[in-house]
Amino acid sequence: MKLIIFISALFIAVGCSTLMLQPADFSWPVETVLTVKDNGFVSEERHTFDLNVKPIFFEEFNDSNSVAGKEIRIIRDKAGHYYFTGAGFKNIYMFMPIEGGLVLEDKISISDSLALQKPAFNQKPAYVELIDGTNKYLVTGNEIVRAK
Amino acid sequence: MKAKMFLSVLLFLIMNALIVAQSDYETLQSFKSQYKQIEESIKSASSVDECTAISEKINNLRSDFVDNKTFLDKSLYPENFESAFTKIENALETKKTDLTQIGALTTQVGTLQTQVTELNQKNEELIKQINELMVKSEKDRATITQLNRLVSQLRGNINQRDLLVRDLVDSLLVEFIKTPQNLNQKEAQAIISKVNKGNLFYNIERTIADNIQFTKVTQMTPGDFSQMKKQHRDFDKVWNQIGPRLSSVYLSKKQKKSEIAQIDSLFVEWSSQINNEIWKSIHRQFLEKEINLIPFNNSDQFVSSVSAFIDNEIKNLDVKSREESENTFLAFIDSVYSKTVEKEWVPILFENNMMTQAEKDIIDAKIEVWKKEAGPSYSYWGYIIVGAIIIFVVAYMFQKKKKPAIKAD
Repeated sequence: MKLIIFISALFIAVGCSTLMLQPADFSWPVETVLTVKDNGFVSEERHTFDLNVKPIFFEEFNDSNSVAGKEIRIIRDKAGHYYFTGAGFKNIYMFMPIEGGLVLEDKISISDSLALQKPAFNQKPAYVELIDGTNKYLVTGNEIVRAK
Repeated sequence: MKAKMFLSVLLFLIMNALIVAQSDYETLQSFKSQYKQIEESIKSASSVDECTAISEKINNLRSDFVDNKTFLDKSLYPENFESAFTKIENALETKKTDLTQIGALTTQVGTLQTQVTELNQKNEELIKQINELMVKSEKDRATITQLNRLVSQLRGNINQRDLLVRDLVDSLLVEFIKTPQNLNQKEAQAIISKVNKGNLFYNIERTIADNIQFTKVTQMTPGDFSQMKKQHRDFDKVWNQIGPRLSSVYLSKKQKKSEIAQIDSLFVEWSSQINNEIWKSIHRQFLEKEINLIPFNNSDQFVSSVSAFIDNEIKNLDVKSREESENTFLAFIDSVYSKTVEKEWVPILFENNMMTQAEKDIIDAKIEVWKKEAGPSYSYWGYIIVGAIIIFVVAYMFQKKKKPAIKAD
């Protein structure tokens, strides 16, 4: 009886385990800078995706009507997070992919008062770097550290 | 002193901060922009010296960005750092080769141009002399010899000049092949200056006009026509390649565009002139043997004319004497059709799609019918055969009689 229970438990354990493909590296070597179209979408050609970014602008500026022509900067880190920001933003938006879209994981505040002027993401081996003029920030997951 | 040191350190820190705060995206854009500028300058380079300067720029770009090689390897998708440089270095090498070749061709074109001008003058003089001799009322032996000599000289000159003009056109074609379909202003200007330098339009017009004139003032052989047809075909093919592109180069120049259109129509005129002269020459073959065919100017008319003549001959068999009909038949077949037309002219007609096998079959069928009706009587052959048998028998008997008898011991 014990043997039967053991074998059943073994089968159930094997059946329930998740198939994992690891390790993986989702990082982009360079950020992509995209211009928002009239319909609020941006099209990324190298990594081929189309995405509606209006909700980010609404979240940041409470306005999603005047987004056409604005630039948004995107980069993906090794873990697969997508980081979004742009000129005039005070936050970095960190997303993770889900079926049919991206879901916000964290909104990383950079400054309560000053907006980014000329932001740019750089991919570094252990983190994503955000530079804005002479200011430099290191982003790892939802943590942000101002670099000296 | 302390203040100076403080300032230096501050400046160093500011500079360092600025250098460190470099966006990878901007680095990539800067590389791409300089790379594109080099690509453009390769495309528009017009001398080997320019290529040398570009080569220097490529080396500078490489050394400026070599520290970012790892980053660029990943970011220059689908290229990488090395393949991007290999690509522009290869493009530069190809351009250098092209420019060297074009340089050599330009020198060659200069020489060709002088030769063409000299030949144009000579040919003009020759055509004038030939025309004078043609209208001379008394054509003595000396005149005819001189005429033949001049015609032969003119033929040689025209061929030589055609080849030279072809070379001029070919050199332009090489230039067109190496430039993109949509020329920029600099490229278009280079083509225009080459066209002007080679006096291209005038020389092409002159070449065609002289060829047309040559067919008019001389009696050409089937071989001459065959050669001229080939010349026309080859030249027309090359012109069809450069004509439309020259039109786009001279888009805004009305006069030049009309010259191009004029050359187009001259090519058509040249072709139809050769064809006309071929049909006239065939007609002349029959006339020389007093066979009056209705003049023809194409294969359809030729078949109709021959058919009408044969039908008429068959119809008149009862009216004309047998001997007269047979003489006409023999003159038509033996002296003209089989001897020259079928052997020498029909192959040219076939070769240049001026006549089909089906059309020739119609003529052959007509001749077969005519042969049965009016061909030499078979009774003649009968007499000849009987005569030959009699001669053979007599000769045999005569031989037998002459042989000495052998007596047995």
